[in-house]
Amino acid sequence: MSAKRRPRPSARPPELASPSRWPLAVLLAASLGLGFAAFTNFDPSTSEDQVTGRPIARPDNGYVSSDTCQSCHPGEYASWHGSFHRTMTQVASETSVRADFAGVEVTNTHGRPMRLERVGEEFWAEFDDPGWEGPDTDRPRIRRQVVLVTGSHHQNIYWYATEHERGLNVLPSVYLIKEARWASRSAVVLHPPNQSLAMLDGHWNAICIACHTTQGKTAFSTPFRSEAFRDQAIDTTVTEFGIACESCHGPAEEHIQAHRNPVQRYRQWLTDAPDPTIVQPTRLDPQRSSQVCGQCHSVWEFYDLEGERLANEHGLPYRPGDELRDTRFVAQPSVDRSSDAIRTLVTTDPEFLRGSFWPDGSIRVSGREYNGLLDSPCFRDASTPERTLSCFSCHAMHKPDNDPRSVVNWADTHQMATGMESNEACLQCHEPIRANEQAHTRHAAGSSGSSCYNCHMPYTSYGLLQTVRSHTISSPSVTESVRLSRPNACNLCHLDQTLGWTAEQLEAWYDISSPPLSEDQRSVAASLVWLLEGDAGLRAITAQAMGWTPAQAVSGTSWMVPHLGEALGDDYDAVRFIAARALRSIPEAPSLTYDFDGPREARVAAAISFLRAWRDTLARTARRAPELLIDADGELRLDVMRRLAARGDRRPLFLRE
Amino acid sequence: MADRYLRRHLHLGWWTLLAAVALGLGLALLRLFDVEAYQHPAHETRRLMWTLAHVHGAVLGLLHILFGVSLTLAPPLAPPSLRLPSRALTAAGLLMPVGFFLGGVSIYAGDPGLGIIGVPVGAVCLLVAVVATARAR
Repeated sequence: MSAKRRPRPSARPPELASPSRWPLAVLLAASLGLGFAAFTNFDPSTSEDQVTGRPIARPDNGYVSSDTCQSCHPGEYASWHGSFHRTMTQVASETSVRADFAGVEVTNTHGRPMRLERVGEEFWAEFDDPGWEGPDTDRPRIRRQVVLVTGSHHQNIYWYATEHERGLNVLPSVYLIKEARWASRSAVVLHPPNQSLAMLDGHWNAICIACHTTQGKTAFSTPFRSEAFRDQAIDTTVTEFGIACESCHGPAEEHIQAHRNPVQRYRQWLTDAPDPTIVQPTRLDPQRSSQVCGQCHSVWEFYDLEGERLANEHGLPYRPGDELRDTRFVAQPSVDRSSDAIRTLVTTDPEFLRGSFWPDGSIRVSGREYNGLLDSPCFRDASTPERTLSCFSCHAMHKPDNDPRSVVNWADTHQMATGMESNEACLQCHEPIRANEQAHTRHAAGSSGSSCYNCHMPYTSYGLLQTVRSHTISSPSVTESVRLSRPNACNLCHLDQTLGWTAEQLEAWYDISSPPLSEDQRSVAASLVWLLEGDAGLRAITAQAMGWTPAQAVSGTSWMVPHLGEALGDDYDAVRFIAARALRSIPEAPSLTYDFDGPREARVAAAISFLRAWRDTLARTARRAPELLIDADGELRLDVMRRLAARGDRRPLFLRE
Repeated sequence: MADRYLRRHLHLGWWTLLAAVALGLGLALLRLFDVEAYQHPAHETRRLMWTLAHVHGAVLGLLHILFGVSLTLAPPLAPPSLRLPSRALTAAGLLMPVGFFLGGVSIYAGDPGLGIIGVPVGAVCLLVAVVATARAR
């Protein structure tokens, strides 16, 4: 047997050499396979450390980034990954850039048209140099690469590399995602017409970074705008673009180290005890847990230049679980209007209060909901932590596993906690009302008027070309509407009713005495008084309410059409945009061909054409009533409209959304 | 005596293989019907554990069959030296797939449930089985 297995070398026939090719063939095939796999999986993107021309993501100071969290917390990672927090800031890419850049020319912009271009994986734009300080006729063109994107829900705002270190500036136009169109940057912000909106080199690095990234460091060699931009060294870094795990849970390096030990991990799982190595916001008391959200969702400032300098160098010092006010000033003019800090802010920026707050000091812009919470009696006057409203009373930052909604739906509905889109949000504390909700609401059960939210959190805050619910929990008040020019919840739904009507209802139902009212407030629908007399913010809120389905169902729509048509001629781009959107939501309204951001002549012509079409069609059947400023003949009561408009609040307004 | 071991391991092998195939079919159905308890991103650990249970069940089933078939090869292994590898392989064949499966029944986010303890014990048994079989005369 063995002799057969071991042939003598001399006896080896030549053909025996051929099997030795097989290993070579196998090796070759394996090499080709590996080569193909490597080729197909090759990622051409450059590592962050090699990137120049934009801020880079480089975790340090105990931060580790969300990638590290994913392996142990896949569910939490998945729901965060589907949230708009993650995509608040993204590196420009095929997925993050929603607009078409392939040879597109954008006319809705400042100055001459902006030309967009795709160069491989890169996005480029050519536009008028916003930094040019010479005569406008000589303004040069610049061509820059778009490197970062802000927003993914309503708008895409594009940031280009200034070609000076890591400094960024913003493109002069913004892409509106739902409308799938471009608009000039100044048109999407509620700010005074004919006033330019500052577009400064380094703006993102110095301002936006604070709340649109996780632990960002501006890292300017000298304070922002203290010297010429091109003379400054800029080494801006972030832990992560967008709002990630560690924004709310704090730096996780210690947590990672501690939980490498499986015994430690299982001890943690099985005991459900608080983990001292990481912050769990829902375990904090309502004040501190809400401050985790308030670190971004508030109007705040540094206490002093030293605080700003340290944040520039090391990032913001606040960590979840800390007392927020230890390291920053949170403006709450409803209680601290006369404080030194507020006075200082008003000295340097006279429109600081009006740009963010109603006259009583409560917040009027979106994205600052913590300010609203501070002024809410459910938070401010609560007696025990168990009965104190916090952000987490209604919102969940991770979609619970047993929630039937999709992650997309949950993210798109403000990350409401399971069941909290209903009256349950309030009834969890206001239990006695549950037994007979109708006795409290005076509206039929299930109707829009029986929704706690609609009466106590009306859409009176403004931002991103829309209104959002006020997070200052309040009750409808005609007095406030008169004194503060703030819409009340009743008239934001009953748009066709006067303030006098609302005052009577509130007196009859809740024994709230009526304030003195002017003749117009008694005889003209509140919505029309606001639309004609109000400041730009109030006009935007009212126009939005006219496009709100529950209000349209309650108030009817035919009478709104000419008034919204008039609003197409508003001085403020944002008001025009919202009025046009509301008109398009009214099925019986004449078709509207109108660009809110187009040339003035074209806008006026389109508005006139629309109003003529209304007069020729819908005006014949439209609801007529004196309080709706449509007389018995179907004619607009222009005299009243002119009178109200003449005493309207035309002070310039820039809402700092 | 060797014949008894042969029958036992062939028997165990085919039954384990049947269980693994049935589990694989079940997992395919869970995926096909997009069952939340299996497909939800939060249950990634469960998917991993049950996939491992399926794979280990199949491999250990085949190992049982291979062990049984090995007994038929010449020279036959002496029965006294078969006791340890047989018992160790039987324990591994049970502990590893079942450990993975139980580890996926109740999970702690990225960590499997406590049933996973069966897996390292089973792995030691498998090691013992392989070493003892290699040393058997």
